[in-house]
Amino acid sequence: MQRHHYTAMLFLFFALVFSAIASKDFLSMYQPDVLYPSPSLTKQGMLSDYFAAIKGTSGDTPVYYFDSGNPGATILLLGGTHPNESAGFMAAAVLVENARMTKGRLIVIPQACASGFTATDPLEGCPTHFTISTKSGNRTFRFGSRGGNPLHQWPDPLVYRHFPSGQQLSGMESRNLNRSYPGKADGSFMERNGYAFLQLIKKEKVSIAFDLHEAAPEVMIINAIITHEKGNEIAANAVLNLEFEDLKYSLEISPKNFHGLSHREWGDSTDVYPFLMETSNPIQGRLRGVTNEHLILAGNDSFYKTAAQLGNVRITYELNGEPLSLRVARHVQGFRTLVNAYNEQHPENTATVENIPEYQAVLDRGVGNFLK
Amino acid sequence: MKLFRSFTLLVLMASLAYPLFPQSKEKCEQPILITSAGQSADVTMAAMLCKKVGLNAKTVNRATAADVKDVKTVIIVPGFSSKGLGAAGISREQEMDRVKEVIAAAQKQKMKIFLLHIGGKPRRGLQSDDFNRLCAEVSMHMIVVKQGNEDNFFSDIASAKKIGIDLVDKIVDAAKLLEGSFVKN
Repeated sequence: MQRHHYTAMLFLFFALVFSAIASKDFLSMYQPDVLYPSPSLTKQGMLSDYFAAIKGTSGDTPVYYFDSGNPGATILLLGGTHPNESAGFMAAAVLVENARMTKGRLIVIPQACASGFTATDPLEGCPTHFTISTKSGNRTFRFGSRGGNPLHQWPDPLVYRHFPSGQQLSGMESRNLNRSYPGKADGSFMERNGYAFLQLIKKEKVSIAFDLHEAAPEVMIINAIITHEKGNEIAANAVLNLEFEDLKYSLEISPKNFHGLSHREWGDSTDVYPFLMETSNPIQGRLRGVTNEHLILAGNDSFYKTAAQLGNVRITYELNGEPLSLRVARHVQGFRTLVNAYNEQHPENTATVENIPEYQAVLDRGVGNFLK
Repeated sequence: MKLFRSFTLLVLMASLAYPLFPQSKEKCEQPILITSAGQSADVTMAAMLCKKVGLNAKTVNRATAADVKDVKTVIIVPGFSSKGLGAAGISREQEMDRVKEVIAAAQKQKMKIFLLHIGGKPRRGLQSDDFNRLCAEVSMHMIVVKQGNEDNFFSDIASAKKIGIDLVDKIVDAAKLLEGSFVKN
């Protein structure tokens, strides 16, 4: 063999080593996160139970049912619509592992966009996982991408035309579950997923539905409740009641001409009262520095701190950070308060959720304390 | 002479005591029109506060001059919301024109304008402050949640224009102040 053959073999060897390391990382994203439902779980199913066309696809996702056995309202809660907004997923996980219904039903889908949990967003340098210390030891969860995995729907069109409105959005939004509603039975991968959620809402006669999100601190709509106009009074009541607990939320009404979002399309297409909640998550922001697991968990970033201290840009950022415990606590408390506000307005059709942690308890003891 | 001295003393005491007993705030009359300036959903909360304290108020998010005719006071709830404007299907400029129209109509009828800023920080900043300033400067009284006045934006307008202002910690604190600001029907 000549010398350049040895050089080539050496390069090939290193390429294989790096590929093996990258493949391990890549494939780890396909390992499902494990949740341990509370003893009150009455049934576990899949989203494809409502639309068989997505069965066995990367869009199919577990659905957890908690049925009190007593007639009442049905609540639906989605986490992980955007898998890089971890507080939504973790708040849903806290509900799955703790909730007990004494009236009505609760349906939880912790990883609404299952496809997005199998990849991170390119060029963002985000970690693939984060670990939370729980009573039974450390548990690791995936940190995904805003949209679905491009491997499951490719290529992105130059312009995404929403069905049925015809609204035009950037091509990458075609993989965004929260631009896909009301979905299309014979549409793209994401449109079919959106369609499945609508079938669930209709078939289960859901009364009140939640979609838990997060946003970068510089986004204007943050620490907010966004609702369809029909949920306006329920949300306003909830905002006032949350204020009694020193939790500041702003109320926003879903624009009628901004299509594809849960708070608009669920409300337009079904009888449900939809509510979307946002918390402030520095890992999604453009000002962030080191992007690692610590940023997901502690929500602490020196650049955001400086920006907050200077006050030259409008951001929602506490000087001590926006830790996951705070963000999950806000989601859980917002959920509880909105359900109570719905019950007040609909005394004939209420739902009672018990055994979900109080805001201060999550904040003081951490999310892990409420996971098995 | 003794009578004169007593009278002088009485006048002196009264003038010294005056600052301790300021004139009570001029009250507004009902019925009330509640409208937004910027289409934020804070207007819904303002309506709930009025309902809570039993004020006779109608809420018209996109009120026009015609809505001002049958009321005696206008409560304006300023604060910009891109989602709200989207929900209303109007531009920021159209909203600004509408607010000016409502203010002009109210002023023409010598109606009292009351400002209620309850959205805190999210209803401040470049987009909101045009609405905030416009409404604050023509109001006869303001109730402002403190978080929206950390830079004294509303207090400065109030002192420059000699407008009454109440700063409250929470939105719910505005309810009692609202109740006390209106003549009971």
